[in-house]
Amino acid sequence: MSDAAKQITLTIDGVEVSVEAGTTVLQAAEHAGVVVPHYCYHPGIPSRPAQCRMCLVEIEGQPKLQPSCVFPAGDGMVVHTTSETAETARKSVIEFLLLNHPLDCPICDAAGQCMLQDYAFETGQLRSRYAEAKMVLGRDRVAEDILYFGDRCIVCTRCVRFMEDIAGDNALVVAQRGHKAYIDTFPGRDLDHAFRGNIVDVCPVGALVHEDFVFKARAWDMDSSPGICPGCSTGCNIEVNVKENQVVRTKPRLNPDVNSYWMCDHGRRSLVMSNRGVRAEAPLVRQGGELEPASWNEALAWIAGELGDATGIAVVSAAASNEALFYTRVLLDRIGIEGGTFQVEQGDEETLTGFPKLKLRADRAPNVAGAELHDFKRADGLPDVPDGATLVVVGDALSNAPADYGANAGFFLYVGSHLVPAAGNATAILPAATIPETDGTFVNFEGRVQRFHRALRSPGVARPAWMFLSRLLEQLGGEPGVREIGDAFAAMATGTARMEAMSWAGLGLRGELLSEAGQPAVAAE
Amino acid sequence: MPGEVRVVDRPESESSYIRAISKGLGITFKHFMHADKPTQQYPDEKWELGPRWRGTHRMAVHEDGRAKCVGCGLCPTVCPVNCIKLIPAEDENGERYAAVYEIDEFRCIFCGFCQEVCPVEAIHLGVHYENAEYSRERWVYDLARLCENDHPVTALWDPADPSSE
Repeated sequence: MSDAAKQITLTIDGVEVSVEAGTTVLQAAEHAGVVVPHYCYHPGIPSRPAQCRMCLVEIEGQPKLQPSCVFPAGDGMVVHTTSETAETARKSVIEFLLLNHPLDCPICDAAGQCMLQDYAFETGQLRSRYAEAKMVLGRDRVAEDILYFGDRCIVCTRCVRFMEDIAGDNALVVAQRGHKAYIDTFPGRDLDHAFRGNIVDVCPVGALVHEDFVFKARAWDMDSSPGICPGCSTGCNIEVNVKENQVVRTKPRLNPDVNSYWMCDHGRRSLVMSNRGVRAEAPLVRQGGELEPASWNEALAWIAGELGDATGIAVVSAAASNEALFYTRVLLDRIGIEGGTFQVEQGDEETLTGFPKLKLRADRAPNVAGAELHDFKRADGLPDVPDGATLVVVGDALSNAPADYGANAGFFLYVGSHLVPAAGNATAILPAATIPETDGTFVNFEGRVQRFHRALRSPGVARPAWMFLSRLLEQLGGEPGVREIGDAFAAMATGTARMEAMSWAGLGLRGELLSEAGQPAVAAE
Repeated sequence: MPGEVRVVDRPESESSYIRAISKGLGITFKHFMHADKPTQQYPDEKWELGPRWRGTHRMAVHEDGRAKCVGCGLCPTVCPVNCIKLIPAEDENGERYAAVYEIDEFRCIFCGFCQEVCPVEAIHLGVHYENAEYSRERWVYDLARLCENDHPVTALWDPADPSSE
């Protein structure tokens, strides 16, 4: 936005607002704090057919009501969104939309976050005047994992236009016309785009539903936390929806600098899977050949006693938070281990033509740049462990390691959330919280430091790795351990040159680029 | 140290207990002779309950015996004491149904919100109060037991006077 853009002033519902020339009335109304109900308009989809007729507003001097989503704001314009004419029009639109709507809100997965429900409740009328039998379309499968409930659909065509404008794949079409119109895949085509899940998010009603989510949770049953998708190095901003301490759904969260309104299907699945497998729930230390549970104090004191100056190697995970990696680095420095490697799972890259910055990137780990920032090196495989050496593993870096990995180590410290087979060789296991169970930061592919927040409770006494690693360092004679993420981040920012100006609070929810941003930590495309 | 006892000299007519006893027995005999006793001979004789009595739940069923519940989750949401447990699932026809539906009658305060909120008139309170059990577990009624209950359901308002709702 250049400063030269012409400012215009208009009045919306008595509120005077200044916007740039070229803004639509609907966007200007948002600035004025006035919500104009709408269905077909979506801020992330460029095409605006103005076909739902829900956003009609009265503009003085215009003979008829105008669709505010496409009507450009003009200087001195006076707009009424709640005048009698506008309200009547809106009420009629709702009545038409509800003619064939099954009103199955009690069993609809969108109930509670449905725009049709909200506006019908707000402006609609109590009883329908439609006396005929409602049309029944039933359900259809538009993609492998997406169901289409034709009866609920209001044919706003957001999904069709997302596929056309943003995904660049004309797989979805409006079939039939008029009141018989419904959404279907183009004959002979499959909806198999890697970003197809977004059509569920743009659907203003419950017509498109992820099969994974059908009947899983009501909108009001779920808690939501802001998070970062751990699926790849893009670091899409997400909302983690949790019910009864289980992640039931992840949705994209708006961040124009990273992912706009979108995320890929690989990412949607990544967090839901994070609780699979056997979890480490208590510190385990090897006493007389067996791994025995211990309290945190006992375990940390014992490890601090055993971990003297050592020669050895370190393996970390590129899915560990920056704070965990920072304290790992400090720990390694203290006990005299240099280097350290991580592996990154590779996958196919998937692109989104309408928002090129957002990709499903080949590096399928969220914090590759963060690991490199803390001087860990990318490696193709696990390093060989010299006999009798000290081995420090932080994060779930051993999920595909052979079961005897680390068996020949002199001292094997395993810090992870899952008890993978190789962890059975450990001298001590410290149970770490998984990504959705902790606060922390990741650095994405372009060097953007982004916060993620805790969404789940940890099992047993598992704790965030940064918390107990800082306490272990305290036992080894370092600074007092930290308990708050803000303190952990501050310690890291002080000790990391490219983060010096940052603070946990200052990062906000949109993140900040590492300094020297001209030199991205990982070569961007 | 015991205090000094003062003995009051009263006339015979005041200090005799014969009069008081015969007066009391007179009342006893009066009740004995008259039949209007408030005591109810429960359980031989049962209390007559009003149509709006709110007691043990009952689940309405379809003709084929399936519960009418669609598992929408409104009753556990509205329940002020969290006594309803519901896990919805999808049946073979793709319909939503309650895979698990349990009501803890011990915890229930019989407010009737669940019946009021139910969009398909499936869960009802009942005109019924006899639910003594030998164990606490038995007080958690599962779906099968709620469906088996056949006592009359509670009228939340007088059908003849809808404004009484």
